[in-house]
Amino acid sequence: MSIERIDSELCNGCGICVKSCPMDVIRMDRESKKAVIQYPEDCMLCGFCVQDCPQNAIYISPAKSSPFIVSWG
Amino acid sequence: MPVENVVETDVLVIGGGMAGCFAAIKAKERGVDVTLVDKGYVGKSGQTPWAGSYVLFNPEWGDNLDAWINQVTTVGEYVNNREWTEIVFQDSYARYQDLVSWGVEFAKNDEGGLFRSTTSLGPCRAVHMEPRGFAEILRKQAVKKGVRVLDRIMVTNLLKQEGKIVGAIGIPMESYDLYIFKAKATIICAGAAGFKPAGWPISELTADGDAMSYRAGAEITGKEFVDTHGTSADYPAMHAHGMPPMGAKGPPRHKVINAEGNEVPGRGTLFLEMEFEAHAGRAPLYFETPGGKSIRVGGASSGMSVHKAEGIWPADTSGATSVSGLYAAGDSLGTMQMGAVYGSIGCALGGSSVTGARAGVAAAEYALQAGKPTVDEKELARLRKIVYAPIERKGGFSPRWVTQVLQNTMIPYFIMYIKHGDRMQAALTIVEFLRDHLVPRLTAGDPHELRLAHETKNMVLNAEMRLRASIFRTESRGCHYREDYPRRDDPNWLAWVTLKEEQGSMKVLKKPIPKKWWPDLSKPYEERYPFRFPGE
Repeated sequence: MSIERIDSELCNGCGICVKSCPMDVIRMDRESKKAVIQYPEDCMLCGFCVQDCPQNAIYISPAKSSPFIVSWG
Repeated sequence: MPVENVVETDVLVIGGGMAGCFAAIKAKERGVDVTLVDKGYVGKSGQTPWAGSYVLFNPEWGDNLDAWINQVTTVGEYVNNREWTEIVFQDSYARYQDLVSWGVEFAKNDEGGLFRSTTSLGPCRAVHMEPRGFAEILRKQAVKKGVRVLDRIMVTNLLKQEGKIVGAIGIPMESYDLYIFKAKATIICAGAAGFKPAGWPISELTADGDAMSYRAGAEITGKEFVDTHGTSADYPAMHAHGMPPMGAKGPPRHKVINAEGNEVPGRGTLFLEMEFEAHAGRAPLYFETPGGKSIRVGGASSGMSVHKAEGIWPADTSGATSVSGLYAAGDSLGTMQMGAVYGSIGCALGGSSVTGARAGVAAAEYALQAGKPTVDEKELARLRKIVYAPIERKGGFSPRWVTQVLQNTMIPYFIMYIKHGDRMQAALTIVEFLRDHLVPRLTAGDPHELRLAHETKNMVLNAEMRLRASIFRTESRGCHYREDYPRRDDPNWLAWVTLKEEQGSMKVLKKPIPKKWWPDLSKPYEERYPFRFPGE
């Protein structure tokens, strides 16, 4: 499932991953001040977030499933 | 309440990869005010952080210009623009020196000298830097030179006033605010144009630059020559999963083995041989790496063209376009530097640095002469309506679903890779329906989806361009293969195809290639074109 998890224990809220993501998948949670996965379906598995996270808090998987095609959506 | 931010600048650069950074830095060095805006983050933008090869020509090292141009011309099947091919080689050393002076390190050979790789295609040589690292150096250099860098803003439309481009408008990722850029000159460096394909990291390259320029009256070219980068078929969503990483000494070399266990003959560069095998029923295909590992491969980069083929039609060799005040560089400028096949390693970054620098200088010089840009309130009101329309609609279609329908129409190999007039016409009928019925009903529930809606709209336009250009070119050439016209047709098609909006519809035009660049037609066809297409 592409981007899988951001470990909130490890995340220090630096926000680097938000900038690194070309697809705007990650956002900062206003309350916890930690990075959260907001739009996982748009992850293109480039791996920038994993590469740039100074805390090694982000996990991705090479597997990604696509949604069913439906009549309208 | 959404805030409207007005940014006044001399030169606006849209897109911050290799071309955009060079354009911004070179414009700034000319003493004008420069703003660089990117949908993502300058330094992580576009294909630049994925590339690590740089073509480098230097006659003092014994490089022969004619031989280098001949390599690109023959591999590119005579539809390269030789003027641009030469310019990129000639300017490559100066741009390389810029990169070295900014701190970019290039791989060394075993003797400690500069490592220059070559290929089986001919004499052209490239040098190599570690991918991912050098793009950050470009950003630092732009900031150091005083370029205003604005990240995470998607530019949606160009501002046009009295026939001239006077800036652009854009939306940030996390709010409904609007950015209004008032600029004397604008440079499009927004990269290639894909359909958010699996396996090639270009999902943010959704034809935004082509689309906004086309809608502002620019001509677009090169849409029929498809790019064929491959990916893992086991994990198609992840770029190069399981493949040997691109090292400091260039991309890995591998053999392609088909399902019958035979090696697939190739041209030694990106071509359609895997698609031909798949079409013949000989997939799955495997990459066999020098280490003996087999990786199942599939097609990937669906949507984009051969580097430097697609993009805005250049008016001259300065980076100017046919629209006043509008410049372009990199994969956004259709220089046709490579022609119909990517004929030399390193020409993507090489071309982007060279065209970026040229466009930066030309745009700055234009800006120095131009008056203060004025923007009509009526035009702004019209564009605001277009930009925010998806959030105003109560119902309609989600951008993700329309994108999925578009992908299902365009990505299967038998539409844009193994082409046929009938199948492309069928796809065009669907794409026209998407354009006329679904795109005007796109919805967005938050700023992220508003970005997606504009991306989807641009991708649908890109699909129409690719289909119309490919239907129009009734021959096969390089990475444009048609089953119904499987031969090159030199008398009719030593020409480029451009697309232009006229009275609301897409007009397809043919631009003849100068006869002095034609191959010798007295030579037999087989000698002019050593590679046979299936069905010839």
